[in-house]
Amino acid sequence: MAKEFAVRPVIFPSSTGNPNVPQHSRHPGAASAPPFQPPRPTAPGPANPSIPFMSFDVGAASASSSFSAPVFASVSTGGGGHFSVPGSFEDEPPLLEELGINTRQIWRKTLSILNPFRVKPDLHEDADLSGPFLFLMAFGLFQLLAGKFHFGIILGWVTVAALFLYVVFNMLAGRNGNLDLYRCLSLVGYCMLPMVILSAASLFVPHGGVLIFSMAAVFVLWSTRVCTGLLVELASGGDEHRGLIAYACCLVYLLFSLLIIF
Amino acid sequence: MYNNLGNQAGPTGMQGPTGNPQPSPFGNAFYGAGSGLIRGGLGAYGERFLGSSSEFMQSNISKYFSNPQYYFQVNDQYVRNKLKVILFPFLHRGHWTRITEPVGGRLSYKPPIFDINAPDLYIPFMAFATYIILAGFSFGLEGKFTPEALSIQFTRGLAGWFMQVLLLKGLLYSLGGVEAPLLDMVAYGGYTFTGLSLTMLARLCWSSSYYVVMVSTSFLMGVFLLKTMKRVLFTEMRSYEKHSSRQHYLLLFMVIAQFPLFWWLGKIRAG
Repeated sequence: MAKEFAVRPVIFPSSTGNPNVPQHSRHPGAASAPPFQPPRPTAPGPANPSIPFMSFDVGAASASSSFSAPVFASVSTGGGGHFSVPGSFEDEPPLLEELGINTRQIWRKTLSILNPFRVKPDLHEDADLSGPFLFLMAFGLFQLLAGKFHFGIILGWVTVAALFLYVVFNMLAGRNGNLDLYRCLSLVGYCMLPMVILSAASLFVPHGGVLIFSMAAVFVLWSTRVCTGLLVELASGGDEHRGLIAYACCLVYLLFSLLIIF
Repeated sequence: MYNNLGNQAGPTGMQGPTGNPQPSPFGNAFYGAGSGLIRGGLGAYGERFLGSSSEFMQSNISKYFSNPQYYFQVNDQYVRNKLKVILFPFLHRGHWTRITEPVGGRLSYKPPIFDINAPDLYIPFMAFATYIILAGFSFGLEGKFTPEALSIQFTRGLAGWFMQVLLLKGLLYSLGGVEAPLLDMVAYGGYTFTGLSLTMLARLCWSSSYYVVMVSTSFLMGVFLLKTMKRVLFTEMRSYEKHSSRQHYLLLFMVIAQFPLFWWLGKIRAG
């Protein structure tokens, strides 16, 4: 790899056939160095020096694997890379892509939760928090419509619940438990969907009657079943403790149903 | 399922050669059993913390916390049977002693899967959470539910657990410095929440049964604790101090103290 200076010279887009592409899509062995390349220590890890650390391309850094490919594809065509200088605003990746919010994937995951009898764990392989965030906002909104201002409480309780499930699952699974907190939070958040539906439905149901209790029971069981199924499929070590984990999930969703019913 | 970790640093104070807990087996435990939790929790810093300060952790943590993973080696059948033992200790036909096995030259207890008398931490945690949720339902049915009230009940439950552990530890301490791991006492203390949850459930179903159920469950919990602590003391104490009257009075005090504790924990007071 050629010696690098501390500050790269600024090269504006000119007639040279080598546009200012961001670092990671630079063709290997390119003659002209890209602008604004931060000083980099000797390339760690992969031998390919043309993949420095991502400083500008936020989309690829946080994207799930499902759409990092299009980012690479669009850039490697060399058509007009994305710059960081103003004047090339239209060439930046779309905001949602940059933020790592894949709406198509969120929608697919949401639809998969709707069926409590068939659990599709492959959709939930890559955890993300934007779906849960949407669900929790919707939950808070429905509670607000019912006159209860519970946003902060929902946030706090979801965190505590995810932590609780994380500890219980990993302790039960023992040596080969590999659930991590991010995925746990993502799963708990996605399986909140039945609770969101319950809170919407509870707006129209008389308060304190038998109907709301029975509906809550059904929805809690739905949530529990989906959550247990996903947890057991996605993280190893949980299959022989299905009942124990199911009870823990049931407790978590019962807690949220308390917020809705009362 | 039972990973023989080769250390079981938990049950110290056994009769026989105890010595110091050897550092390397305990280090094994941290890297092996709890490693899933610790690896996930510490993330990138795991190597720094665990690697450089492992000696510090080994020497200090092992004094206070036995390997927590031992207490979670449970399965469905164990949980069912243990619940039966806790709630109806009179029906337990067998003996109350824990099964030991020689492991790596030291005697250690078998994990809960193999031994109905071993304490575990899964049931206490679940029972505590059940108690909180049932308290929430009780609040709600009286119309006094707010999330803050639930948090207050949570804190009260934690305080009750702590007092129970203090009681048990105090009992052991005053009877001659018996060595028993702290997590064992935490587990025994947490079993009270099973009886308590049953009481709250009974109150939800039929409110006039509350006092009857509460008195009976606190009495049964007292019996359970009595038998357990007697066994713990019996195995740990020196022979000439067994069957002293002081021991009997303290155990009786422990049983009687269950009643006010249950009453206090069962009181649903909207804060």
